[in-house]
Amino acid sequence: MTESALPPAAALTPTDVRAMRPLRRVVGVAAACAGVALVAPWLLDTYTLNILIRAIFFAMLALTVDVLWGYTGFLTFGQSAFFGAGAYAAALVFTHLGFSPGLAWLALGAALLAAAAIAVITGWLSFYHGSTALYASVISLVLPIVMTQLLFSGGTFTGSSSGLTGYTAPDFSLEAWFRIAGCVLVLLTAGAWLFVRSDGGRVLAAIRDNETRCAYLGIDTARLKIVLLVGTAAIAGLAGFGYASFSGVVAPELAGFVFGTEVIIWVALGGRGTLVGPVLGALLIEWGSAYLSGSLPFIWKLFLGVAFVLVIVLLPQGLLPPLARLVRRPWARRQSATDAAGMAGTADTAVLVESPVRAVADRGTPVIELAGVAKHFGSLQVLSGIDFVAYRGELVSLIGPNGAGKTTLMRCMSDGAERSAGTVRIDGHDIAHAAPHACVRFGLGRKFQTANVFETLTVAECLRMARVRIDKPSLWRRSTTLALPPHALAVLKATELDRKLHVEARHLSHGEQQALELAMVLALEPQVVLLDEPTAGLSLDERSRIGAVFTDLCVRFNLCLLLVEHDLDFVREISTRIVVLHQGRLALSGTVQEVVASELVQTIYAGSTSHD
Amino acid sequence: MTELLVREAALVLDGVSAGYGELMVLRGLRLTVPAGSVVALLGKNGMGKTTLLKAAMGFLPKREGRVAMAGVDITLFPAHRIARRAVSYTAQEQALFADLSIKDNLRLGVARDALLDERLAAVYGIFPFIEGRLAQRAGTLSGGEQKMLLVARALVARPSLMLVDEITEGLQPSVIDKVAAALRHERDRNGTAMLLVEQNVGFALAVADRFAVLKRGEIVLEGDTRDAGAAEAIRAQLRV
Repeated sequence: MTESALPPAAALTPTDVRAMRPLRRVVGVAAACAGVALVAPWLLDTYTLNILIRAIFFAMLALTVDVLWGYTGFLTFGQSAFFGAGAYAAALVFTHLGFSPGLAWLALGAALLAAAAIAVITGWLSFYHGSTALYASVISLVLPIVMTQLLFSGGTFTGSSSGLTGYTAPDFSLEAWFRIAGCVLVLLTAGAWLFVRSDGGRVLAAIRDNETRCAYLGIDTARLKIVLLVGTAAIAGLAGFGYASFSGVVAPELAGFVFGTEVIIWVALGGRGTLVGPVLGALLIEWGSAYLSGSLPFIWKLFLGVAFVLVIVLLPQGLLPPLARLVRRPWARRQSATDAAGMAGTADTAVLVESPVRAVADRGTPVIELAGVAKHFGSLQVLSGIDFVAYRGELVSLIGPNGAGKTTLMRCMSDGAERSAGTVRIDGHDIAHAAPHACVRFGLGRKFQTANVFETLTVAECLRMARVRIDKPSLWRRSTTLALPPHALAVLKATELDRKLHVEARHLSHGEQQALELAMVLALEPQVVLLDEPTAGLSLDERSRIGAVFTDLCVRFNLCLLLVEHDLDFVREISTRIVVLHQGRLALSGTVQEVVASELVQTIYAGSTSHD
Repeated sequence: MTELLVREAALVLDGVSAGYGELMVLRGLRLTVPAGSVVALLGKNGMGKTTLLKAAMGFLPKREGRVAMAGVDITLFPAHRIARRAVSYTAQEQALFADLSIKDNLRLGVARDALLDERLAAVYGIFPFIEGRLAQRAGTLSGGEQKMLLVARALVARPSLMLVDEITEGLQPSVIDKVAAALRHERDRNGTAMLLVEQNVGFALAVADRFAVLKRGEIVLEGDTRDAGAAEAIRAQLRV
């Protein structure tokens, strides 16, 4: 699989060259910026250098907030806590152990470790399975408050409200500090730039768009967000270490909530979700307020506040995006044809490749088994005593009146926390209380009733998300190929989505989104697929093509398909077995002829308008 | 002068072009829904059916062309002003207030609560499940039940024009029959004009007086649903 997706190592194909282009551009721009950082100390006066070095450390912090808020959608007020942790770890080492080059490394290690350790705990509290985004934001509000309280109550050890000062720190010249800090900032920004655009980084956007879908693609979003928080916290800790070493002063305010909120203002003013914008925002505002606070000691905060309100009202995207458009306009005309209709953004040029299916299991072995499954909401019994087994190679249609509990039953099969009683086994694994992403790992794929895709991601990116579990995505580059199993490719071809790989999912029609979701589910290479009304919103023609794909899945790949469907003609055409759910119980199970002709189905269900 | 501002037409789209960003979905589209009659709009996926409804309802700015309802040019009207002209729009997804009860969702369809009570009886006749579950939160209904509630909300509003987007999706066959009967009854008794976007040809032909097939943003076929060859002609268009 991974092997087949990789081009031969020897020769570079044109797509490889195209893939290298953004990397080369980033390296070029970063080298130029580093050059500026190296030259600037000769041109700037001591006061400006002093201010800018502090601002550079703050800009690193702003960068982490942008990754969390701008790209992942997690509004955090608490990054300052990690900055403070890093700063205090360094200051504590220097104050209580003294200074030597070896101890400086120890201080750096302590700074990173302290920030990361706090992030592990915070992340675990904020992102456990089932918590909401608001909850995580509230925790991020509490964290800096707790941190400052701890620092206040640390007595002489932490210096309480006056903080720590007068310790010996690395003794570099002002120019050297500027060069070191500047180059680290450039490196971090370039790294973050590559990361958020890489295949791995796009997972963040997927989480922001639709966390449920991520979970049902087997992505453990909680763990991922904790890892991300730890990573960004370590960078914030590094910035704090730099700040404490440079300034020789730390105060509890560095870990405080006010500072954490200021960072949000920098990010919003600079341009959320642009990385460069927040960095520039932090640098400019710090520099500007240093000058203004000198000449206008009380009014400058008012200026800052008014500027913030104006930008939010007039330029909700922040300052950078409109500026960038202004600069780009002259030479963007030529590109505009290809960039039309929101298809640009992340111009995705992936080439579809067929990957072999990993394993085709034997027909006729049970793949999903339910015993005594029941579900009630309070006193309302929705499902009771469901015993059901489906085998590989079977295509079972689940029919029943609206409100009979069909979707609820599918939910019980795909999320261990859903059912009130009974057991569910997928491919021999008891799902117990497993979360959806774990059920996916047992071999389950689920397509929802209403189209459930990633709105701001392109079709190709959506499909790639489905492969994250199988093909570990790169954290710094974009793949030029997209390897999918043949059944997923068949769905794309049947619905002509293979011609729309670069289109953002929100620009697709309703039916196309349904088809995309189906292709995503199949790209997971599941053993058993739950399909909630897979033909909803599809036209006749597409319906019959999808039907053929389903049959093929069962016959050729021995998948087990379980579908909820109202189109009886469709059901009759493709099913090997039909199960009827009525008032929360399995009322009937049998061959297509038996069930469709049964009195129960005729009285409670069937109608006269045939669906074609 | 086109026949834009005739009172006899419930809805006229005259040369409408609309789309998203640079992407044009509708191109100079012309379509008329005569007063008191039902037009079914069919077409494959991604051809612009939903876009047409959104443009008519004022959710999408029109690049070109004009839209009129019952003799009034509403091209530049925002959606809420169009809705006040007794126009109901049944969107395909997320059209209910999930946190409100069934009853409150229905209540939002009428001008005064007193009207609701007298119209609810008719709704119970079509969808009996609603009667016993008025206090239930709409978001907890099953997918099909939500669709039924959408129809019910449109009906209690007694609109003069209904724009309906794929209402049969996710409904069991016997309920589809009921919805078809309810819509026909609504047209016959109250003279409600309707534009139905549909994939279900059987349902469309059962309810509508006229049909139109949309392809790549233009109407490629129009006709009377009672014509003998209508079904076959539509299916042929949907196949290619």
